[in-house]
Formats: sequence, structure tokens, C-alpha cells
Amino acid sequence: MISRRSFLTGATASSLALGLGSCASSPEAGPGVIRYWGVGAADKDKDEQVREAFLATDAGRDVEIYIDQVPSSGVADMSSIITAVRGGTAPDLWWMDRFNAVQNASIGLLEPLDELIERFEEVSVPEFTSQWIQFAVDELTYDGRLYGLPCTTDARGLMYNEDVLRDAGVDLDMFDPEQHVITWDELGEAVEKIVQIDDRGNYTRFGFAPWLGEGWPYTWAFGLDAQAYDNDTATVTLDSPEWESVFQLYADWAERFPYASVDAFFATYQPPNAPPTQTAMFSGRLGIDTTGPWQISGNEKYAPDLPLKFTYLPVAQDGDPTYTWSGGQCLVIPRGANITKALWEFLKFYAGFEGQSMVVPQYGNLPTNVRAIEEGNYNPEAELFRTMLPNSTSRPPLPVGSAMWDTLTRTRSSVALGSRTPAEAVADNQAMIAPKMELFEGYRMPDTYGQPSTRLDP
Amino acid sequence: MSSSLAADPRTAGPGGAAGGATAAADPAGPRPGRATVRRRNLRTGLLFISPWIVGVLIFIVYPVAYSIGLSFTRYSGMEAPTWVGVQNYVTAAADPLVRTAVGNTLFYAVIAVPLGLLVALTLAIAMNQNVREVALYRTIFYAPSLIPAFAMSFIFIVFLNPQFGAFNQVINLFGGPNVNLLGDPTGVKIAIILMAQLGAGNAALIFLAGLRNIPRTIYEAARVDGAGPIRQFAAITFPLLTPVLLFNLITGVSGALQVFTEAYIVTNGTGDPDAGALFYMMYLYKNAFGFAELGYASALAVLLFLAGLALALLIYWLSRRFVNYDVEAG
Repeated sequence: MISRRSFLTGATASSLALGLGSCASSPEAGPGVIRYWGVGAADKDKDEQVREAFLATDAGRDVEIYIDQVPSSGVADMSSIITAVRGGTAPDLWWMDRFNAVQNASIGLLEPLDELIERFEEVSVPEFTSQWIQFAVDELTYDGRLYGLPCTTDARGLMYNEDVLRDAGVDLDMFDPEQHVITWDELGEAVEKIVQIDDRGNYTRFGFAPWLGEGWPYTWAFGLDAQAYDNDTATVTLDSPEWESVFQLYADWAERFPYASVDAFFATYQPPNAPPTQTAMFSGRLGIDTTGPWQISGNEKYAPDLPLKFTYLPVAQDGDPTYTWSGGQCLVIPRGANITKALWEFLKFYAGFEGQSMVVPQYGNLPTNVRAIEEGNYNPEAELFRTMLPNSTSRPPLPVGSAMWDTLTRTRSSVALGSRTPAEAVADNQAMIAPKMELFEGYRMPDTYGQPSTRLDP
Repeated sequence: MSSSLAADPRTAGPGGAAGGATAAADPAGPRPGRATVRRRNLRTGLLFISPWIVGVLIFIVYPVAYSIGLSFTRYSGMEAPTWVGVQNYVTAAADPLVRTAVGNTLFYAVIAVPLGLLVALTLAIAMNQNVREVALYRTIFYAPSLIPAFAMSFIFIVFLNPQFGAFNQVINLFGGPNVNLLGDPTGVKIAIILMAQLGAGNAALIFLAGLRNIPRTIYEAARVDGAGPIRQFAAITFPLLTPVLLFNLITGVSGALQVFTEAYIVTNGTGDPDAGALFYMMYLYKNAFGFAELGYASALAVLLFLAGLALALLIYWLSRRFVNYDVEAG
């Protein structure tokens, strides 16, 4: 039985501890103090490794780095960082999805790095940024200024379960990236063989659908030469015939493999918000999925015995060039940060060769630092994706990136469900985004955007 | 403050008239005038409710006024707002997704509110039964309302699983095909409507209070006149519950216009498939915090506020025809 006195003492002590704890996470700004919003609770050990390594260097002497795990939430929500910046409690450094950089820069959320590079590095911005892959730098460039340093990257490809394909009688050589790049027709035939249906008409084993996993409209757009924006005319081009062909692909596939049936299959074996262990691929019910190298660490952790392999994305015709796109993370300085030499050194360390070499192999992703790539500082299982990097690119760096992603994703489900035709879908997308881009009259993406990287050997 | 209270004959405790007589004989001076007393009372009253007034001013009036101001600007949350006049309202009128979101929200409101009232009234009647273990029933019926919306959403995702979920197991028992409600634009709305019914306990408690307020004597008189249970409900219970029904109707409509959490979780924040669960608040939220268009989101919020106000006024106007205030206490 707890006495009243003990209860009050305990409650007071708890309140004090909570109060002091919250004070400890909001240190006073100083020349050697860095407040950092990290990668997320699940990966906080990586942040801590880099912090310890940096503090052991000359640049890290007398520096204090306070890490809070307030991760960037993809394209969905910027409320936490906007609130922090407006409330005067912004971190000095923020680990963020690179795709959001241009939009966040356009609203004034981020500090440009150009002056810091010139002040602390005494080299030009292009010379300094030549340490990183071009597409990752382009994705951080808005109106000719750099708003962050790239960290990890990736690429898209197909992952397949050899056991499922073999059991279905599919020729595995067609999926071997060293022998063949599979075409859409061949993929469709393979899926027909893989599919199993129970007596009530439900899929119990399924092959592949282009709207699953990383099958975003952008993914297939890069293979069908569909461009979202024309730099020369400064116009949105989401209603081009190429974009219509992207949505036609969804419509054709849904005709063969109805969206509702595929969705029911997924809702059964991989429901929304399922834990990472509960996937249709890991349970041997899905043959092929669109994914990237980040999947490697999950495979090693949750399904080490499954024969999961990777290959290129499907092409239209035999002999067509392969294609992919890359996303990834970056480090940025939000507005209102305490910008110091120590901050710059830590940012440079984390996004540079040392930091990337330390954390990237643990993620399974790929580095953006050219030297880290060349020295093979990544998971060897990701080698196929590394070979894709020289010809990869990012999603278009536009200040309406989130809205564009949102509308493309929504109309994808409309077309797959059959409520909109591909022509209607691309018209909807254009009508939704073009007026938003009119606010950025004459906007130009970096001239190097979409060009193959000259900094990496193929 | 205490002196003001003491000087007020109406607050001087039992025997106010005697207190007044005492005050009249007070050698300290003449009794204050009626206007002075009224002013003092007003001041005292305002002082007592000042926390509420300050709270409303800071947390409701100021944000609403600020939001109305922002709705005439382009504002990202960072740079200074730029005046654009009624442009945001013009954009909203032409935005096809606003129409989709309004349609989805009305679909939800038109079904979820009446259904919710029916479920809540049924629960309240069950909670009002004169049986020994009624306290246990009340707890059981109210318990689902304590589950947070986000937790309930996760439970529903499992409940509606097309293969293993209890919902489909029941359908299968009757030989029906498996249904994936969350994969269909209409089905996902129906799922969210069903989910909302598990929160009917709150409205049921208010109905229960209304039921307990109806004097037993009226039922006894009705029984003497030969009225059965259905006749008693139609002629006594329902008419006398209409003030409570009005309250639950207005709060229900207000809540329905703001449906958000369940749809956000079951669709991973997308509102898909095919924008079937893109409710008005979700679209507003996307614009504000996904697309950093706080000016446009504010215009959407103002429109929602006006729509909610108009519906509330309409319900009040209609209520004159169906609300019965004849009996106030039992």
C-alpha cells in the first residue's frame, strides 16, 4: 500500500524528472551546440555512431550534439518542422526526404548552403558538390541555390522469389539480370502462371501488378519517356501522350488482373500498416514486386532463407534500354538554425565520405558520395542497383512536388479501378498541377536534371 | 469579490429578505441601487467565467479570425502572407477534389448521423432497463466509446480483412463472397460509417439522461389508459426526448463534417482508393500540411465553418416543428 506521502513524493519526483528531461532536450544555442532531428527511432543507433565518430575528430572537439528523433514523414506532412521553425525551436540540422527539398526551399523553410560552402570551404559550389552524384545534387537545388547535402540513395527494380517462380514453371533465366531484361509481355505471361485462385475466386498466390510496391506512376514514366515538366517552355506536361501510356499500362493490367481482386489479396496477406515481417512476399504468396535496395536489410533480417533476387524493371520491347529512378535522404538546415562552423563540419562529415561509409551499408541503400560508391561502401547485395546509378535520375525537382505526387497516385487508383480512363486521368493531373505551377512563372529545373551522371563509371 | 457577494441580497443565503432588511438598517450607508447591484453581479459573473472567456478568445475567436484573414492570402506558413482577395474561394469552387470531398463527407453525414442517433437511442433504452445488472450493461455498451479512434481503425482493418476478418467469416457462413470494403471507394466509406457506430456510447449517455428525465407518472398514466410499450414510446418517450435528440443531432452533424482520423489511418493518409475516403477535412489537411497551401486550406476551413453554421441554423429552424419542451424535469 502506497502512503499518501510516498505518492506525493513520487509524483513530485516524476514531474521534476519530466521537466528536467524536457529541458535537457532543448539545449541553449551556442557555438559548439548542434540540435539535430535524426533518422527515426528505429535507426537512432546510426545517428549515434556518426555523432561519436565526429566528436572523435578535430572538428568535433568541444562540440555537443543533441539528437531528437523527429523523422521526416515523406511527402505527407510538414507540420512538425513548420511549427518548430515558426515557434523558434527548429533543429539546426534535419534528416529529410530529399524529394521534399525543393518544395520546402520554395516556401522558405530551409537555409541555402552556398554561402557556407564559400565561407568555410573556399571553393565554388559546383566544385564542392562534385563529390556527390549529380541527380542527388539537382534534387536539392532550387532557383540555382543548394539547400542540403545528399546522404543515401537507391534505385528501383523487380524483386522475385525464385521458389515461387520455379514452382509456377516460370523460366528463371528470364529474370536473371545478366542474361535478360524482361518485357511487359513476358512478365504478364509469368504472372498468369504464378496466380493461384481458391474455389471462392480469391487469389491465394499472385504474381505482380504495376500499382503495387514501388509501382508509382513515376516509376513507369521514366521507362516510357513521360516528362512532368518542360524546362524550355516552363510548362507542366502531365497530359502528354507518354503520360497517357503510363496510365494505359495500369488500365491494361487491371483488365487482366482486376484491381479489386488484387487489392483483396493484398488486404489479406499484407494489410495496411502491417508489421515489416507480414508481407505477401515473405509468406511466399507473391512472386514479383517492385522495390529497391532498402529491401535488402529487411530480407536479411526477416526472411534470410528465402531465395529473393533482384532484376531490372520491365521494358516494352526486347533490347530497350533499362531505366529506373532514385530517391533518398539528405541533411538540411532549417530556417532559424544556429548556423556555426561546428554545424557545417558535422553536416559535411555526416553527408560526406566518412558518414555515408558508416551508415549506408547498414541500411542496404546506396551512397550518394562518389568516393563511397567507388570504394564499394555499401551492402554488396545492392550491387545491381549500384550499376543502375549512372543512368538513374530523381523525380522532377519541382516546388509542387507533393501535390504532383498526390494527384498521380490518386489517378493511378482511379484508372486501375476503372472509374477514369487514362485520357481522363492525365487531363485531371494536368488540371490539378498546372495552375499551381503558374505561381512559379519561368521556373527552371537544373539543366543537368535527367542527364546521365558523368561522375560514375557505368 | 466576497464583499460584492455579501452585499447582494440574492446571494446572502436563506432569508434574503431579512438580509435586505438588515442591509437597509446598515449604519455604514444606504442600500445600493438596483443598477449598481446588477453591475456588480455582472462583474462578478464575468470574473467567474473569465477563464472560459479568455480561453474562447485565445483558442477559438482569435484562430477563427486569423483563419478568415489567411483565407484571402497565399501563405505557406513561412513567408509573409500575400493578399490574393477571393482567389482561394474561386479556386475552391472550381476544384474537382473539393466536390469529391464534399460528396464523400455528405455521404458519410447523411448515413452516419441518423444511424448514429438510432444506435445511440437503442443503447440508451437498453441502458435504462430496470434490471439488477444494468450498471454492467451500461459499462459494456459505453466501453467501445473509450477506444481512441486510431486504435479502433487498426481493429477495423483486421476485422474487415477479406480472408481472415470476422466480417467476411460471417458473410462466408451465409455463402456470400469475400468482400474487401477498404478496397472499394464506396465500401471504404461504409466501413468508416460502421466504425463510427462504436462511438455511439457518448450520445447514448446523453439520451439516457433524457430518458431518466421523463417523469414516471406519465408512463403510469399511459399504462392506466391502456397504452402498450410501442404506443408509450411513440407518444411519450420520443416526443419528450426531442430536445436531447436536437442536441445529439447538431453535435453529430458537426462531428460528421469533420470526420478525419479513421479515414486517415485506414487509407494511410491518401484518401484512396479513387479518393473514396477523401473527406473534406482530409483534403483540407493535405493542402495545409502536405502542399504548404495554408491560405487555400484556410479558405476551405472557412467554407466548412459556414456550412456547419448553416446546417446548425437549419436544424434549429426545423426543430421548432419537432422539438417538444413540455416536460423539463421529472
